[in-house]
Amino acid sequence: MSELRELTPGQLAWLKFRRHRLAMIAAGSLIFLYTIAIFCEFISPYTPEQRNSRAINAPPMDVRFFDAEGQFNFRPFVYDLELTINPDTWMREYEEDASTAYPIRFFTRGEPYEFWGLFEAERHLFSVDPNGPGYIHWFGTDSLGRDVFSRVLYGARVSLSIGVVGVGLTLFLGVLLGGFAGYLGGIFDSAVQRMTEVLQSIPTLPLWMALSAALPAAWSPITTYFGVTIILSLFGWTTLARQVRGRFLAMREEDFVVAARLIGANDQRVVFRHMLPSFSSHIITTATLAVPAMILGETALSFLGIGLRAPVVSWGVLLQQAQNYQVIVMTPWLLLPGAFIVVTVIAFNLLGDGLRDAADPYSSLRQQ
Amino acid sequence: MSQLLSVTDLCKSFAGESVVKSVSFELNESSTLGIVGESGSGKTTLVRSILRAIEPDSGTVRYNSREGWHDLHSLSPKELLPLRREIQMIFQDPFASLNPRMTVQTILEEPLIIHGIGDKESRKQQVAKMLEKVQLDSSSASRFPHAFSGGQRQRIGIARALILEPRLVVCDESVSALDVSVQAQILDLLASLQSELGLTYLFVAHDLRVVREFCDDVLVMYSGNVVERGSVEEIFNNPQHDYTRLLLSAIPSPDPDEKLQPLDRKSLLLDAGLTV
Ligand SMILES: Nc1ncnc2c1ncn2[C@@H]1O[C@H](COP(=O)(O)OP(=O)(O)OP(=O)(O)O)[C@@H](O)[C@H]1O
Ligand SMILES: [Mg+2]
Repeated sequence: MSELRELTPGQLAWLKFRRHRLAMIAAGSLIFLYTIAIFCEFISPYTPEQRNSRAINAPPMDVRFFDAEGQFNFRPFVYDLELTINPDTWMREYEEDASTAYPIRFFTRGEPYEFWGLFEAERHLFSVDPNGPGYIHWFGTDSLGRDVFSRVLYGARVSLSIGVVGVGLTLFLGVLLGGFAGYLGGIFDSAVQRMTEVLQSIPTLPLWMALSAALPAAWSPITTYFGVTIILSLFGWTTLARQVRGRFLAMREEDFVVAARLIGANDQRVVFRHMLPSFSSHIITTATLAVPAMILGETALSFLGIGLRAPVVSWGVLLQQAQNYQVIVMTPWLLLPGAFIVVTVIAFNLLGDGLRDAADPYSSLRQQ
Repeated sequence: MSQLLSVTDLCKSFAGESVVKSVSFELNESSTLGIVGESGSGKTTLVRSILRAIEPDSGTVRYNSREGWHDLHSLSPKELLPLRREIQMIFQDPFASLNPRMTVQTILEEPLIIHGIGDKESRKQQVAKMLEKVQLDSSSASRFPHAFSGGQRQRIGIARALILEPRLVVCDESVSALDVSVQAQILDLLASLQSELGLTYLFVAHDLRVVREFCDDVLVMYSGNVVERGSVEEIFNNPQHDYTRLLLSAIPSPDPDEKLQPLDRKSLLLDAGLTV
């Protein structure tokens, strides 16, 4: 207890959060995913539109250390794929050809890309010899021979960022409107209250659909991206606004806030120095728990073909390819983006749980 | 002795229910007025209305500042600001009344910053001096409230109230949440600060023994009304109102052998024509 005395509230919260094993794992996974999303051009071996005509609908290739004779190779490699057309079904079938191995190389030259649209580069984290005939498709390819692994990474950038940008916008609207409603009260409060009630009573999916369908098809990918983000957050802010309003109302009466007013603090100081900081942790928690809804919203819209559209690559857009039964049976690896969505959503929820527990470091200390 | 505060016909109701009903009283400088009454009798509402922490429905609160008399409730926030320096409050709950995310230094410095007193260096010295005055270690300044015991936190609250050198200090149950021995320490501290700085206290309490020891005059409240007002001797030795007698009868005797005999509340209230 004596060391606890010297800690700041932030350090106390961190202590509590660290004890939350699952939340720590979730935080690690999310950091990993976001790092990948940030550096997707570099990490992916191909660009998302690059086609490999020799591997159409190819299954995921195994990365191996042991060759056919059971010999250990220090450098991992993949086997070549041999294409056969099944005479009965006329389907393309790929089989590994153990006689040709393509060793994996790091920091290879490959298809040039623009990192963040800022500067040109052509180094990729890993690939096979770019001058040879080999290729590596870790997650397989789609019907146009595009590398699914690379596309998942590019999609991560769009899908993961839409969650954060959308929640940022939601936060802004929610805290602003909810805060003013709770602090000012009166007509403004009633207006915001009625507005949230109306918005919350409308079923979201049809409304999203209607609004997204109204987005002009001629819009550039980036404009559509922001259009979709705004649509998603326009309906997301109500929950947060309610929470913020409730907390403002309750906190306005709390002793330390009254104390601040009695020493002469003006509204601005009371709100920004006393009230907001003391529930910033709750805002962060709520925001964390709101990200999955955003990501799922984008996925749903794009899956239905009314959110983001090709050539934008997002997880929802990728899943659109896996819409029919045939695809799921014949090329199940096209569902891999779905696995990424699931992992991300679970990770955000676990992280939110951990943050919620850590948010009030005093609750447990007082009980001790 | 000059008058410092004059309250006339102060009323406040919440959602149609009258909580403070036309309360009037005066307060002299450098004296201590106790306000007693059972829970829910409106003591907190009364003092907070006086401080304009809540807006009363009607009535006037006049305060004799260094620049003359002011009607506190007709002042704009800007005009009120200099008077905030002179009237301060010490809260009941030492956990809830300090911002958990500020260090003691920040908490104590804030009033000085708001009122534009001194520069960074002199404020630091002032905080250190204040900490010494409330008998806290100077190393406390860099710590957060969670690092202190209840009694220590209450000292921080006192320091915050006194750093602006107020003349009137409102204590709303400021020692009720503390252990008896800590209570005594804090009361000693308040008393010595009063004689040193010439403070006037408005002292809300439900523990009548504390009031007897600490106050000069007593105001007895019952469901929003002042039912009796007088000096401590008058009230304790010769209570006029039945409700006051009822309150006094509930004080446990200091002699443990004497049997506790609270008067029958119901019959007393019926006799007095009061409703429960
Ligand atoms: N903000 C509020 N809204 C509605 N009712 C309130 C509010 N504040 C106080 N009340 C009501 O006013 C009455 C008086 O409350 P008050 O806190 O003034 O009593 P008190 O004498 O200070 O009691 P205690 O000794 O428990 O502190 C209570 O019935 C309480 O429920
Ligand atoms: Mg009270």
